[in-house]
Amino acid sequence: MIKKGKRKVRLRWLSVTSIIILLLSYTPVLAQESYTISGKISDIENGETLFGASVFLEGTTIGVVTNEYGFYSITAPKGEYRLLITYMGYADIKQDVNLDRNQNFNFELSEISTQLDEVEVTAEESEIAVLRKPEMSVLKMNIETVKQMPVVLGEVDILKSLQMLPGVTNNGEGTGGFHVRGGAGDQNLVLLDEAIIYNTSHMFGFFSVFNADAIKDVKLYKGGIPARYGGRVSSVLDVRQKDGNSKRFAATGGIGIISSRLALEAPLFKEKGSFLIAGRRSYADLLLKAAGQDNSVSFYDLNLKTNYKINTNNRLFLSGYFGRDAFELGENFSSSYGNSTANLRWNHIFNEKLFSNLSLIYSKYDYELGITSAEFNWVSSITNYNIKYDLKYYFSDKFKLDFGASGIHYEFDPGEIIPTTETSSVNPLLLDKKKALETGVYVNAEHKLTEKLTAQYGLRYSAFSRLGGQPMTEYENDQPVVYNEDLGIYERGTAIGETVYEKGDAIKTFGNLEPRASLAYTLNDNSSLKAGFSRVAQYIHLLTNTSSATPLDVWAPSGQYINPQLSNQYALGYFRNFKNKAYSMEAEIYFKNTDNRIDYIDGSDLIGQNTIETEILKGESRAYGLELLFRKNEGKFTGWISYTLSKSEQRTPGGNAGGLGINDGNWYNTPYDRTHDVSISGSYKLNEKWSFGTNLVFQTGRPVTYPNGQYEYEGVSIASYSDRNSDRLPAYHRLDLSVNYKPNRKPNAKLKGEWVLGIYNAYNRKNAASVSFGQNVETGANEATRTAIFGIVPSITYNFKF
Amino acid sequence: MKNYIKLLLALFTVALTGCEDVIDVDVQTDTLRLVVEASLDWEKGTTGNEQLITLRTSTPFFDTESTNVTGAEVSVTNNATGEVFLFTDQNNGTYTTSTFEPQLEATYTLEILYDGERYIAEDTMNPVPDITDIYQDTEDGFDDETIELHIVFTDFEEEGDNYLFKFERPQDLLPTLETGDDEFINGNEVDWWYEIDDDEDEEIQPLLPGDVVNISMHGISRSYFNYIDIVIDQMGGVGIFEATPVDVKGNCINTTNPDNYAHGYFRVTQTNKATYTVQ
Repeated sequence: MIKKGKRKVRLRWLSVTSIIILLLSYTPVLAQESYTISGKISDIENGETLFGASVFLEGTTIGVVTNEYGFYSITAPKGEYRLLITYMGYADIKQDVNLDRNQNFNFELSEISTQLDEVEVTAEESEIAVLRKPEMSVLKMNIETVKQMPVVLGEVDILKSLQMLPGVTNNGEGTGGFHVRGGAGDQNLVLLDEAIIYNTSHMFGFFSVFNADAIKDVKLYKGGIPARYGGRVSSVLDVRQKDGNSKRFAATGGIGIISSRLALEAPLFKEKGSFLIAGRRSYADLLLKAAGQDNSVSFYDLNLKTNYKINTNNRLFLSGYFGRDAFELGENFSSSYGNSTANLRWNHIFNEKLFSNLSLIYSKYDYELGITSAEFNWVSSITNYNIKYDLKYYFSDKFKLDFGASGIHYEFDPGEIIPTTETSSVNPLLLDKKKALETGVYVNAEHKLTEKLTAQYGLRYSAFSRLGGQPMTEYENDQPVVYNEDLGIYERGTAIGETVYEKGDAIKTFGNLEPRASLAYTLNDNSSLKAGFSRVAQYIHLLTNTSSATPLDVWAPSGQYINPQLSNQYALGYFRNFKNKAYSMEAEIYFKNTDNRIDYIDGSDLIGQNTIETEILKGESRAYGLELLFRKNEGKFTGWISYTLSKSEQRTPGGNAGGLGINDGNWYNTPYDRTHDVSISGSYKLNEKWSFGTNLVFQTGRPVTYPNGQYEYEGVSIASYSDRNSDRLPAYHRLDLSVNYKPNRKPNAKLKGEWVLGIYNAYNRKNAASVSFGQNVETGANEATRTAIFGIVPSITYNFKF
Repeated sequence: MKNYIKLLLALFTVALTGCEDVIDVDVQTDTLRLVVEASLDWEKGTTGNEQLITLRTSTPFFDTESTNVTGAEVSVTNNATGEVFLFTDQNNGTYTTSTFEPQLEATYTLEILYDGERYIAEDTMNPVPDITDIYQDTEDGFDDETIELHIVFTDFEEEGDNYLFKFERPQDLLPTLETGDDEFINGNEVDWWYEIDDDEDEEIQPLLPGDVVNISMHGISRSYFNYIDIVIDQMGGVGIFEATPVDVKGNCINTTNPDNYAHGYFRVTQTNKATYTVQ
């Protein structure tokens, strides 16, 4: 606790903290005696802590919002106040306080709909434009909103729902991952309870790994990434699992066409703790097997979370996720992949102003392929151990400080071939395992400069060491890729030897300062202007030269031949609420450029490739755009219209390899460039029984490379292709509809059921996932074949909870 | 090995996708280029004197009527000996010789003078191991009910061998081309299988008893492997899980006007040929 800037704060472990203390001692001393109120805010029904609830002193501009663990701390001069706690969708709480000493207040809010039988729907606080905080370029989605949106085959999907908001797209139906502001899929840091998820897709991207029943909050940073995050240049998707009901036993579940779900939660240790266990499994494989099919596909997920409150100031959380996909094609081919994560966290409240969290995190992604007829298995994986310590210091009503440090140890196992029989004609092979260490320290201040101007500024220092214990190939003239002047093509360089790095050695070390800053200027009670800048470094890269990422793609660390990606992003925004927050509007423009973005030479071969440097050239990318979001937050009808106008392109000069580079060194579209992207999402609540939802999406087609001629060779028509990504697929559009029906139930019945009927792609648009060009095998004529993934897809799901 | 994985990804695409149809698409049109099909294949057990080179022009993608190129001057030189083999214009797009002398490990240079421009290309003749057995089975391959052919050979001891296989059934319009290298199989006895998948949409039958299959197996240079491997990958189009298609450049350089490079390839290979009748 700090009073008048004099009392000592007890901090240990981190050298960074001493810097912080120094910094703190220079902050202006408050003119009169101040005291602090702190505590936690949770839901009265299930005990889940509420993230983003606001705590205000009525009649002042002093206030805060709760953090991820529901904690708040508010400091004000001595006096009598009325404390106002609000969270949209919940009833307000008012509490008179006499601020003559530091106090602790925990509040439990109750949902409005459970109090009154109202038909009114209101958006969650988190979805209304936030005016005073400098936070911008952030998308929040309430899990209830996600659950009400129409989705393909009735599988609720956070990632697909986020794509309905500005600046977020995918690479076509049935493909994994997502793209933020023209960035690549590997530029998104995806965190599930702080653990890195390396592959977010089930069934190659048809569904995502997030089981909505186990998720509490979803927050996507498209820019203005806070200093506490680092490692990916495009975005951070921070997904938090529920803690588990600490009041009573509860179950939620659902039965759908693709999968069934069940989540159980209950208090533990006399309400000192709670747990959540949620599972989901698809059953297409069972049906296929029953139908006598050899081919099968399946996936499952398991989400676990438990927490234990040691005392008021100490709480432990343990969470885990296990998910796996399996494919079998006939008897000869099988493949499986999945993520596993675990996180042990310790929340410690030092005093009413200083909150801390220590996390120990493990995460792993692995891929396996077995080919029985060729008698071998192929395995690859990436594993990381992560230690992270984050603190938040609520210095005064004008000044708050986040600071902390993290270290991630990576092990890349890019691939191994294991012959399964002695007679296998395939030799065993082990690609070089790679190790690396990524560390970061950061400090970030939220500073209310005047009544109207709030700033957030911070600095992150990140360092990355590619560790030894492997040989590195050396190339003639230090050129892993060489331009062949005569043929006009890039070729693999000539290896001239190897340097073996011992385990203790670092092959290469990088360090980067990453400043982050944003400003919010409140124009009036209903509108504000914001500006932001962020610089982010990314040290690991997903290697993929296919139109869509596949589960086989491997991650590679920066090192001797691959430099870290470095990105600068600038954004400006205008935010406005109308009619007492019934409507809100957000408009942003952004520009970002990224250095050291790699692209692949023509004919690159990444499968089983030990020397990736011979397949790539280094370039840069840039993206800019305008994003508009208009929401209706209240009433029977709620929803939004989102529009993005953007450009995303890259250029890859020859550099050290010689030559002009890919596409003759000219700028070309990235595969994630979408000129126009319009999404409309709406829901209408007719009464307690019936509600309706709809989505309408329109997008410019994805950039692709089409043929520009053909010639006959070896009795076959061979296509010659035009410049990289200089053509486009036809425009993408579709309409989805859904109906939710909650049958009559007795007032006291515990079981609450709900039917969800959906129609995806209602007018059966054949959206091209790809157009491929080839010869008709009967006529020999060249033709263009469109592959559409989903036509009209009806679905039915039954959800229940008790 | 890599081909298995590529094929597997292609199959995933098929397995996961519902609906395919042929559509009209506007494509760009490149300048029309000279197309060189100069495949000097020395079949084992023959003299290899008789050789043929075909010259055509490329066409817009949806036009398949190519023009034969006549009036060009075509010659091949053995770099080591300096011996020149002249190819005679047959006035139908083909140019022939009956005096070619194949020599393993020798590098040859092709020279074409056409339309005031000079094209040159180089390739080295690589040996091919003998096929020791050809048999049929059903158990391997993607489908354990359809017949696949097996070709057995022993890879040379030294690493760096590259192969091209061509399978043709007289009743099919298009041949099947496959490439292999010894990156994962160096020095081993290799059992290479070939299967035609039962495709319900396109009326291509799997291998059936009575089918005649013409097989050729070439020992090829690494640079030709790099070329033909991409060409084969991109044949029939690429799906979403396959590499973005690229314009593949062959080895025929236009020394007069480098931008006006030719399509196609000048290859010199040693070749095994066999014919198998499915039982």
